[in-house]
Amino acid sequence: MQKQQIMCKEIESFDFQSGGEASSNLKNILRKLGVNSDLVRKTSIVTYELEMNVVIHSLGGEITALISEEELEIRVDDVGPGIEDLDKAFTPGYSTASNEIREMGFGAGMGLVNVKRYADKLTIESSKENGTHVKVLIKLF
Amino acid sequence: MSKKHSVLLKEDKCEGCTSCVKGCPTKAIRVHQGRAWIKEDFCIDCAECIRSCEYHAKYTETDTLNIALKSNYPVLLIPPSFYGQFSPEISAFRLKTAIKELGFKAVYDVSESAAALSRQTLKFLNNNSGSYISTSCPVIVRLIKLQFPDLIEMLLPLKSPVELLAEKIRQEFKAKHNYKPDIFFLTPCPAKLTTVNKISGQQKSFLTGAIGVENIYKKIYDSLEKIEIEPEFDVDQLSLATVWGKEGGEESILNSWQEINTLSVSGISQVKKLLNEIERNNISAEIKYFELTSCVNGCIGGVLNVINPYQAQYNLEVRVRNIIKQQQNKLLNQTDKQDSLYKFYLTENIIADNVSKLDSDFKKAMQKLEQLQREIEILPGLDCAACGAPDCKTFAEDIVNGLAARTDCIFMLRKQLGKLADDLSILAHELPPVMSSKEEDNNNDS
Repeated sequence: MQKQQIMCKEIESFDFQSGGEASSNLKNILRKLGVNSDLVRKTSIVTYELEMNVVIHSLGGEITALISEEELEIRVDDVGPGIEDLDKAFTPGYSTASNEIREMGFGAGMGLVNVKRYADKLTIESSKENGTHVKVLIKLF
Repeated sequence: MSKKHSVLLKEDKCEGCTSCVKGCPTKAIRVHQGRAWIKEDFCIDCAECIRSCEYHAKYTETDTLNIALKSNYPVLLIPPSFYGQFSPEISAFRLKTAIKELGFKAVYDVSESAAALSRQTLKFLNNNSGSYISTSCPVIVRLIKLQFPDLIEMLLPLKSPVELLAEKIRQEFKAKHNYKPDIFFLTPCPAKLTTVNKISGQQKSFLTGAIGVENIYKKIYDSLEKIEIEPEFDVDQLSLATVWGKEGGEESILNSWQEINTLSVSGISQVKKLLNEIERNNISAEIKYFELTSCVNGCIGGVLNVINPYQAQYNLEVRVRNIIKQQQNKLLNQTDKQDSLYKFYLTENIIADNVSKLDSDFKKAMQKLEQLQREIEILPGLDCAACGAPDCKTFAEDIVNGLAARTDCIFMLRKQLGKLADDLSILAHELPPVMSSKEEDNNNDS
């Protein structure tokens, strides 16, 4: 079965008010599709982490979700400075977030660590010129 | 009567105004034919509709005193919150005597089992990793089953204080007497009434029934005037766990014994927000225990109470202060031999309600989802509720599920009428060919 798009949402830089909406929307959609609740939880955590990364670190972007009976694909594409050191970004506790962001309760350096933990497959392409492009696959069965 | 929930509708009083529809946290109400009907599978007995209805059309029917007194051995369990319903100057002993005067053979304080449950909860939290949510408020348990099924594993696998106490009393009677008591709970909310018939985590409830506070409040008051008590007995003799009756009570007991990270949140909409944050991992894992109650201010905010929640909170706080003075001890005992008489653990798994999916077949669900997204695009998005559903998205879902028609939306209907009128007028001006030639002839003549 070919994957069908079930959500596409624009995310604005530093928009903490609506940050989290994409993950909530996707959660509701998956519930309506009858996806198992453990997987809904995983997806919710992954999407929220990635969504907040766009809000905190980029100049804005877009989050897209596609689904087939077998698999869920989440794509996050942003315009921004890119991730300077991908290896470091996967080190628990490592964060480039400013003090201001940390005071808001973000930037604990667990974002990508958690994404990697819950994703069945994760690919990241990132450069200064082209922003960051994340693709996460979560197996549904 | 429905067994899935306890909130009912007085049809003759309902004006069909949609106040309750919009305020329902699970979107369980729809107005049809001018009446606000509750969708059984979605109602969690939070009583928000009872609170929001100006016409008092939503209500709950709890057991009456007469029903309880038909029993050969009626017993009443009193929740901690009940002590907020009276001035702290009226001693607990006096109140319990007044209740017995109404015809109950025995009365018990739920604060006793609440104290035992607090001790067991602390043990559980110290012996288990992870974070847990209190299972004492049945509305919260149902909310999680319905809307946050992935958080079911966080529910503390221990029975509620009421069930613990009722079970213990039944055991005691079995061992000591050859008759069965009928155990009633003096309930501040409809949700506890529902648990009598339908309970999560147990095969069945140990209660016989539940009497709403409002049902016997006046009778208790009248009875209070008649009784006389020796001054030496006229004291509270209550467990410090009476503080459970208000938000943060459970938390304060746990923290009085040991420094433990807890968070207490009350009010169904606030609890929903919190559960959303927990679900997306946005709440610190340091928090070991969440004390959550559906009613603002905790059980004293229950809709079947008579006294307003603020006065009730004050009454309860003063009474707890008095208990501390009488017992000359600020702390609740951290051990009690009696605790071994309780069977704390839930005996059944708590299972998700699973009613939100569009179809059990994935492909069909996908088709319906597409249709749903299309409908949402078409609808005006004003969330006016004039269609009887709380908002356009829910209405769209009703359409997709075959429960509503697009023309139930007055804006869609108007649009369609407008188009119809345009079509009619075009049609009216388009004359049949026979006529048009005649008209042309006439024009030429003139």
